[in-house]
Amino acid sequence: MNAHEVLVGMLPEHFLLAGIVLLIVQDIAASRARDGFGIALAAVFAAAAAALLLGTGGAASAPFPGQFSVTPSDFLAKAVVLALAVPVLLLSREDFAEARFHVLVLSSLYGACLMLSSDTFLTLFIGLELMSLPVYVLVVLAYRDTRNAEAALKYLVLGGTASASLLMGASLMYGGSGSLSLATFAEALSLPDPMATAGAMLVITSFFLKAAIVPFHAWAPDAYEGASVPVTAYMATIVKAAVLLAAVRLFAMAPVDGGVADVIALLPLVSIVWGNLAAMRQKSFRRMIAYSSIAHAGYLFYALLGDAPSRFQAVLFYVLAYGLMNLLAFCALPRGEDADRLESFKGLFARAPYASLMIAVAMLSLAGIPPLPGFVAKFLVFRNVMAAGYTTYAVLGLVGSYLGIYFYLRVIQLMFMTADAPARGAAAPRRLMLSSTLLCLVPAVAIGVFPGWVMGYF
Amino acid sequence: MGDAGLLNLLLYLPVIGAAILAFVPARDDARIRWISLVVMILQLVIAAYLYERFDASDPGLQFATRIPWIADWGVYYHIGLDGMNLLLVLLTAFLGPLVVAGAFSAITKDVKLFYAMVFLIQFTMLGTFLAQDLFLFYLFWEAMMIPMFLIIGIWGGERRIYATLKFVLYTAFGSILMLAAVIYLVMSLQDTTGVTSFAFEDLYRSQLPLATQQILLCAFALSFAIKVPVVPLHTWLPDAHVEAPTAGSVILAGVLLKMGTYGFMKLGFPLFPDATRLATPIIMALAVVSIVYGACLALVQKDIKKIIAYSSISHLGYVMLGLASLDLIGIQGAVVQMVSHGLTAAGLFLMVGMIYERCHSRELAAYGGLAKVLPLYSVFFMILTLASIGLPTTSGFTGEFLVLLGAFGASWQSYLHGSATMLVLAVSAVLGVVLGALYMLYFAQRFLFGAVKAPHGVPGDLGFRESAILALIVAAVFWLGLFPAEPMSKTELASKRYQTLVMTARLPAETRTAQTGATP
Repeated sequence: MNAHEVLVGMLPEHFLLAGIVLLIVQDIAASRARDGFGIALAAVFAAAAAALLLGTGGAASAPFPGQFSVTPSDFLAKAVVLALAVPVLLLSREDFAEARFHVLVLSSLYGACLMLSSDTFLTLFIGLELMSLPVYVLVVLAYRDTRNAEAALKYLVLGGTASASLLMGASLMYGGSGSLSLATFAEALSLPDPMATAGAMLVITSFFLKAAIVPFHAWAPDAYEGASVPVTAYMATIVKAAVLLAAVRLFAMAPVDGGVADVIALLPLVSIVWGNLAAMRQKSFRRMIAYSSIAHAGYLFYALLGDAPSRFQAVLFYVLAYGLMNLLAFCALPRGEDADRLESFKGLFARAPYASLMIAVAMLSLAGIPPLPGFVAKFLVFRNVMAAGYTTYAVLGLVGSYLGIYFYLRVIQLMFMTADAPARGAAAPRRLMLSSTLLCLVPAVAIGVFPGWVMGYF
Repeated sequence: MGDAGLLNLLLYLPVIGAAILAFVPARDDARIRWISLVVMILQLVIAAYLYERFDASDPGLQFATRIPWIADWGVYYHIGLDGMNLLLVLLTAFLGPLVVAGAFSAITKDVKLFYAMVFLIQFTMLGTFLAQDLFLFYLFWEAMMIPMFLIIGIWGGERRIYATLKFVLYTAFGSILMLAAVIYLVMSLQDTTGVTSFAFEDLYRSQLPLATQQILLCAFALSFAIKVPVVPLHTWLPDAHVEAPTAGSVILAGVLLKMGTYGFMKLGFPLFPDATRLATPIIMALAVVSIVYGACLALVQKDIKKIIAYSSISHLGYVMLGLASLDLIGIQGAVVQMVSHGLTAAGLFLMVGMIYERCHSRELAAYGGLAKVLPLYSVFFMILTLASIGLPTTSGFTGEFLVLLGAFGASWQSYLHGSATMLVLAVSAVLGVVLGALYMLYFAQRFLFGAVKAPHGVPGDLGFRESAILALIVAAVFWLGLFPAEPMSKTELASKRYQTLVMTARLPAETRTAQTGATP
């Protein structure tokens, strides 16, 4: 460990930490409650920019060898996760002004970054907890009714189960190998030792829980519906992205084949099918997005079936495309009491044409229809799965994704084709909404049109 | 700008048009309409110029652009004109201004969004025809669904949502299996030859075992057959046509359906030639069933739009028959038939739209004797009807006659080799011609002749705008009927290429010897 490595290798984390400290100091020093938005935005932006520059510059370092190390691709993964947080912050502008919200978000992001650089189960666990604990609070932060509390409690209990499962798995593997290094996971997968296998399976289970893979998904719809819009967006995009990228790091160079491949493929396949089927009968937009995210978690785990070098590229591209498009929908979502009910989407195009178009683009991309980036992401995943020889799983997954098209299109149908009360007073988009949607749309179009250019960096 | 640049301009002009529309105030309907029309006419001019410049003696790709796009996957942005897509591109560009002008009076709600969607569908259709890279092709192919979904769903009739969802769910199902097949095909090309490429030219050289070819052909064929549509995958078509606004029907019948047959010609059959040759009797049988079944259903419809919708199924059956005959004359006939059907069906749907705007009914029984009160309308209608049933001197004759000639040529050969199946099929296809004449003339008789009746009083005859649109279509119908030699000379080399590709065995060397050993 030397000072320079600690300084440069953890630069994104330092920016986040500086943001947290500044926010707390401001909160204590100021006589009245101050808006934390500016500081938080600056901190996240600086952290994302630092991660991006270090990543594209090819920087690698190990500030704490054996515990915490970064390669250029880790920097890029952090850059994506942090960049996705920028629209979330813009989205929260109207709901949350107090600094405590921003402190929690920055802490959670810090945890995500830590997780993406961890070399041992200890660091991974600390990162995972640091990422999740603030989110439990965030869910109840906009306490309006008991539903928020129920959602938070469910999320907390299942999050606790995930943590316990991770710790149990890690200790079982530690018992066999005497090491807490993440590399023991890859070994445990190939060992015939039942203890090691059980440990590895418990670790996988904890990731399934966190990513909401069927049958560990039941918390997601309640949590997504109960939380406020920005927090739902945060859970659906950033937490999911960080968990999946951490899973890629965990699997690292581990060959996924034989029985492991079936575990990695079967439950995600069920998630794809069930998520898409269950989303069809939802009446709440956020519940629908929750089921959609369950299906997308399925595609993301599919990406682990590919050969080792291709996994990172596929997952990173996927979370970028998926995150941007989910955030686009959330940013354009009309606010108000009943705004979450799909019924209220009826005739939205007449009332808010810009927002409707943005939501339509987001839905089509999530459905994986070209030329939107969701298609390239899906293509990348299934191409890798097929290249690795899992043709049957690939075809079944694609058919599962077909099931999803209906409910995404139903949103468009409600907005454009179902006339509501003739409210022709087309509202101009608010400036904040305009900027946050463009912030999602422009990069999404860029990666949709020039996917090769983006993937060149991954 | 070189001609390749012009081809790119042709492709992107609709996008530019849509972008211009974005800056026009939504309430300024007149300006939106005229801007759209001018852009579409410009597109037609470019297409016509490129058609003139097209060199009939060059079998390769002309005016091509090829730029690396996703380097890791071997995906290129690769577009160009060849004899196969030349006429279809011209047809698409030709129908563009007619669709726009035809919708001037019909579309009054969300005009801006409507023309933007027409531009987008024009863009995706041209892209599908021009693409020479499978990834690019699939991109355009699938993207085509979105604007059509909105056009039917927003501006359609009463049951528009049911119809549009049915359309999308049908086409998307085909596409998703095709996507799996695309990925598998490219992967196996990479495994066997070491080349990572989506280029059609490279994929034509793939060597797949017969069983694989058959599975992949099924996946591709399902997707294309849904688009054509081939019976029994046709049930989305009547609903989509009936509920779609006139412009939607015109695009659907005029160009979109040809995507399916073009897909078979460009990809489905030449990519998997060995499987195709084995399946020829099945494909021909399905084509003949489509011809006869479509015609029979057209005969009993009460809704005018449905008659034309089912006649489309029947007419596209000829295209399939011509392609499957693998006889040069039949293939050339299929190409002409694609264009001919595009013209006549588009014209008939426009005419149905015109009468619907006046009388707000599509019930055939509500009309009669229009020839007495709408002379101009009736003349155009009669010409298009006769063209549709293939009267000599019209385009329909050229297409159907050549297809049947080709089908007989091919089936006679197989008859001489001891199989009568194909001959029976070819004879049954002729039955379709008779049925076609029957339902169209029966339709025209009840519609145009007899006692005068029309819902909501006697309508006025065609205006200048409407007459101009129809006159252009009729002129094109006669051009293709009287002077088919010139366009056909430009497509001949491409048809020959298609024939050679499908006729040449492409099994891996070892399996080929094993097979010939097994069946002496």
